[in-house]
Amino acid sequence: MTTTPPADAAGTSAPAGKRARSRSKLKRRVSGLLALGIALLGAGALYAVAVPAPQVAQASDTNALVEQGRQLFNNSCISCHGNNLQGVKDRGPSLIGVGSAASYFQLSTGRMPLSGGQTAEAARKPPAFTPQQIDALDAFIQANGGGKEKPTETDQQLIGGDPSRGGELFRLNCAACHHFTGRGGALSSGKYAPELDGVTPSQIYTAMLTGPENMPVYGDRQLTPDEKKDIIGYIKSVTDGNNNPGGNPLGGLGPISEGLIGWIVGIAALVGVTLWIGSKA
Amino acid sequence: MSGDEQEKLPTEAELDSMTRDELVTLGTKLDGVELISYEDPWPVKGTKAEKRAERQVAYWFLLAAVAGIAFIVAFIAWPSEYKAPDTDGYFLYSLYTPVIGVTLGLTVLGLGVGALAYTKKFIPHELAVQDRHDGGSAKIDQETVLAELADAGNRSTITRRSLVKRSAGAAAGVMGLGLVVLPLGGMLKNPFADTNSKDSLWHTGWQPSFPGEKVYLRRNTGDASEVVLIRPEDLDAGGFETVFPFRESERGNEEALSAALHRADNPVMLLRLRPDQNVVKRAGQENFNFGDFYAYSKICTHLGCPTSLYEQQTGRLLCPCHQSQFNVFEYAKPVFGPAARALPQLPLAVDESGYLIARSDFIEPIGPAFWERDS
Repeated sequence: MTTTPPADAAGTSAPAGKRARSRSKLKRRVSGLLALGIALLGAGALYAVAVPAPQVAQASDTNALVEQGRQLFNNSCISCHGNNLQGVKDRGPSLIGVGSAASYFQLSTGRMPLSGGQTAEAARKPPAFTPQQIDALDAFIQANGGGKEKPTETDQQLIGGDPSRGGELFRLNCAACHHFTGRGGALSSGKYAPELDGVTPSQIYTAMLTGPENMPVYGDRQLTPDEKKDIIGYIKSVTDGNNNPGGNPLGGLGPISEGLIGWIVGIAALVGVTLWIGSKA
Repeated sequence: MSGDEQEKLPTEAELDSMTRDELVTLGTKLDGVELISYEDPWPVKGTKAEKRAERQVAYWFLLAAVAGIAFIVAFIAWPSEYKAPDTDGYFLYSLYTPVIGVTLGLTVLGLGVGALAYTKKFIPHELAVQDRHDGGSAKIDQETVLAELADAGNRSTITRRSLVKRSAGAAAGVMGLGLVVLPLGGMLKNPFADTNSKDSLWHTGWQPSFPGEKVYLRRNTGDASEVVLIRPEDLDAGGFETVFPFRESERGNEEALSAALHRADNPVMLLRLRPDQNVVKRAGQENFNFGDFYAYSKICTHLGCPTSLYEQQTGRLLCPCHQSQFNVFEYAKPVFGPAARALPQLPLAVDESGYLIARSDFIEPIGPAFWERDS
């Protein structure tokens, strides 16, 4: 539990991506691929070291997985969520019936377990559990009271093929808080809608399904699974540096930053050229 | 230039015998300009430096030509069809806009810089002095110009033709009046005079067109011609959705269906609160909700922005324009920011087929204050 492979992966790839943003598309592409490769290798290696032989138990015996989840729950979650998941007053809510979709979102984005005291909103951080441990906890939560299940599809399968319709639905339902290209934004009293860079399709899907924290719930009768996947397709087409044809997104905030840079840099360049034209050879 | 200089003008025969340099000097002198120096940047012809300068200019024009050809090729042949990220061909596709932009930009830049560089390197730098005129015009010029103007006016016979004068005056005067009507006319005509009309400020698109008309809650699916009505089971607890009015008379009428989604006073937020949520209802509106379903106008009562940022745990609706906040656990009354009135609530019901409908229009005008409104 002390080694956290996905944390390392995120740690190595994020600054590499930042630095390269100003360079050429090709360079960024290559360094991004390299960073991804290294991160994947590192994650794989650490995973192999940290989890010696879980596959047998996971594949063959659901009860064993639930039992492992119970162990993890008793070690890490029980003080706030109670010994029977009934919740502890003023500490944490009941988890009966929240379902594996909610636990998967909270655990895989690192929002649970909470740390750093009570803040207006739980921030995204490297998960405290390995993917296998999260599976176990999900199974344990799902076994106690049921609830919305996390999708069985892989991340790739959750990316819908119609990002155009997804964009329409995103602007109708999500853009008010998350901004129309997923840059996020402020809410009341220190709360905020997070930006959508670096969030996996499964996490977006389970977030829509369960409405974590102050996000509204978008059940399957409101946005069908297909519509959710198209929304994910749209989000994936505009986040993670994909909506960046000009080389630098300038924060992706639209006309304000673009206008400011255009004004300051553009006017300075025009003045410079004018001076050069007027100067003697 | 008048007077003595005119006498010194060369005759035609003299003009024929003058060299081009002499003609240039004469021309500038006639304009009161004296050339002090007219420095040739390359006094010695054919030096290496001169040739290098010539090549530098040519390089810019050559760059413009090559970039222009590249632009034409890229514009026609580069793959421009949309590719989703992480699919084959996305990298090339993502370069389409930069490539045509950079090549066309280089063409324009090369032409411009080439022309400028040529001017700077090869056009001689002249130094000239021009005399300034002193004082006003001569007495003779003033008198003759005045006489000419008065004569022209007199010859037009306008002073005698009072009919033309008056009709022209009337035309100009009416045109001036027309300009005044522009700002004042709006005060004479009141498009909202009929306060019972759906299009007045007092009512919205939720008002039934005739008594007993059923107005359904409709979902916007992104396809304006699609009609999706909402049943209570379609929203999960903690869910929220923007809904629009639908009436059977609109079915199949794409224009009306699209207009219903775009009409400014139509958007309504349908909220499904959690069953254990304590809700304070507004006096006189205790039965406007249907179970856990509450519907409020989305139009902010401050200046009419969409209050569409919903925090489902704290029950806040936020307006992005001026940070007004409304508490949906307490009849959407304003709790922060400049808005002073609660969001109007739409009375809900469910019809016999299980669809959510509006029992009536809002019981108060939605949106920001206006002149005739007294609350």
